[in-house]
Amino acid sequence: MMPHLFPIAILMAFLSLDETAVGQFMVSRPIVTGPLVGWLIGRAGIGLEMGALIELIWIGDVPVGAHLPLDLTMLTGTSVALCCQLAQDSNPEAAMTYALGIAIPLAALSTEAEIALRRFHIRWLHFAQRMAFSGHLRTFEWLNYLVLAEQWLKGFLVSAACLILAHLSSGLYSLLEGVLGGKVIEGFYYAHWLLLALGCSAVIDLLVEKNTWVYLILTIVAMMGLAVFSPLQGVHLVAIALLAGFILALFFVGKREAST
Amino acid sequence: MTEEKPSLREARVTALDLAYCFWRTFFLQGVWNFERYLSYGFTFVLLPVLKKVYPIPEERAQAVTRHMEYFNSHPYMASFILGAVVRMEEEKQRQPRPKQKQKEEEISALKVGMMGPIAAMGDNLFWATIRPYCGLIAVTLVLSHAFQIKGQFWVIPLFFLVVYNIAHVGIRLMGFIQGYRQSDQVVLTLRKYGFQQAIRGLRLASILLLGVLIVFVNLSVLEKEVGLFVLKLTFFTAIVGLFTFALHRKISPSQMFYAVLLFALMLAFWPTLSGPPILPMGGP
Repeated sequence: MMPHLFPIAILMAFLSLDETAVGQFMVSRPIVTGPLVGWLIGRAGIGLEMGALIELIWIGDVPVGAHLPLDLTMLTGTSVALCCQLAQDSNPEAAMTYALGIAIPLAALSTEAEIALRRFHIRWLHFAQRMAFSGHLRTFEWLNYLVLAEQWLKGFLVSAACLILAHLSSGLYSLLEGVLGGKVIEGFYYAHWLLLALGCSAVIDLLVEKNTWVYLILTIVAMMGLAVFSPLQGVHLVAIALLAGFILALFFVGKREAST
Repeated sequence: MTEEKPSLREARVTALDLAYCFWRTFFLQGVWNFERYLSYGFTFVLLPVLKKVYPIPEERAQAVTRHMEYFNSHPYMASFILGAVVRMEEEKQRQPRPKQKQKEEEISALKVGMMGPIAAMGDNLFWATIRPYCGLIAVTLVLSHAFQIKGQFWVIPLFFLVVYNIAHVGIRLMGFIQGYRQSDQVVLTLRKYGFQQAIRGLRLASILLLGVLIVFVNLSVLEKEVGLFVLKLTFFTAIVGLFTFALHRKISPSQMFYAVLLFALMLAFWPTLSGPPILPMGGP
């Protein structure tokens, strides 16, 4: 991981700008950050799998009002970098679980750094107000770009710190394996499968309501039937679900037009 | 009357000004802070128009300071308010001076009155519906292993970004244009867009995808035995139910992660369990 530390930290600093300050195009989401960081290290496949897992588990952690959710950019970047390092001589799923376990507290620290910076921005706000009042609108305008640079620098420093700490923790993985034997890797492997269940639960918690449970159960039964009794492959099932979803969306739009 | 003539001439906001303002909406969250949230970003977006409609420096400074009041809303949906405020500022300058104070109050009232409902709608539409839907499509495609096999890892993230940003930039642009066209009446026309119906439709579509995802996770054992697949799926669904109950009790995903890890390690060290062979990445 260490040879790639600098480019990963630069990339993560840019991606965290999308999350907090510019655009919100969602390039900072785990499903995008994961493969990007993985690609920098040369293991885009692990990055994509890891990004998908993180996207799923934290799908319902949304920024409402003043609430800042866990810094998923930092979580994904750090855990993908660590996982790629560990997966060279270990089971990838077990390495993913361990990397996530290390990266969660680091991502929480990054969120705290963001909160502290936003508190500091109150000073910038008062400065901007003074500039506006005295008619210095050019300074007022440039303040935005100055704060963007400040945000980028914070992202870079926090990313670098997280990556170094994650790298230092990689020794613990070998130590655990050495002291406790293969059972600990087996435990991490079981956890990976359970984490996919946790991800599905997060989606249910976010989207499923009392009157829509029946749709979920019917879909599971129908897809199970299709998987068992038809020669359809996985991607075809996704296509069927997307098509059905599209028809449902059209049905609701039609209902709106009828009511208006 | 003669004093107001230059203002009248300068108060025309061109399409280019509007385009510049729209571009600046992507910087709405600049200097986000816990005192007045998006107030700086809001003013930053309006600045090109304020410069145009207030040619007198004192008036301009006053207008900029006026917009530095508390403002917090959804970053995408705020474009409805921004468009309306641009129009109202333009209209304000066309009015005689005694009526301008009243217009200022109307602008402030529109911002205060609309930011809450718009934020709630945006949170529900984007954070709780469109983003999870796009994310779910991407995750389901990742688990289908369709693109990884060919080494095209960039296809799924790109697909996610394109689908999400069509909705994001589309609604942002529509909001800004409609806000500008309808001024303070924009609040009355929000219902026309059918966001609530879109939320319901997309949520149901997400549930269908979730059904596929739950089957996918267990698909790796299907090639070995159908009975084992059904058993594993049933067990998996029961665990999903248990975790959903825990999440519903406001346990955070991070806390759940460590609980799951602890449980899995206990399972691995349980003496009577002989663990299955560890499978390679992506199952057999």
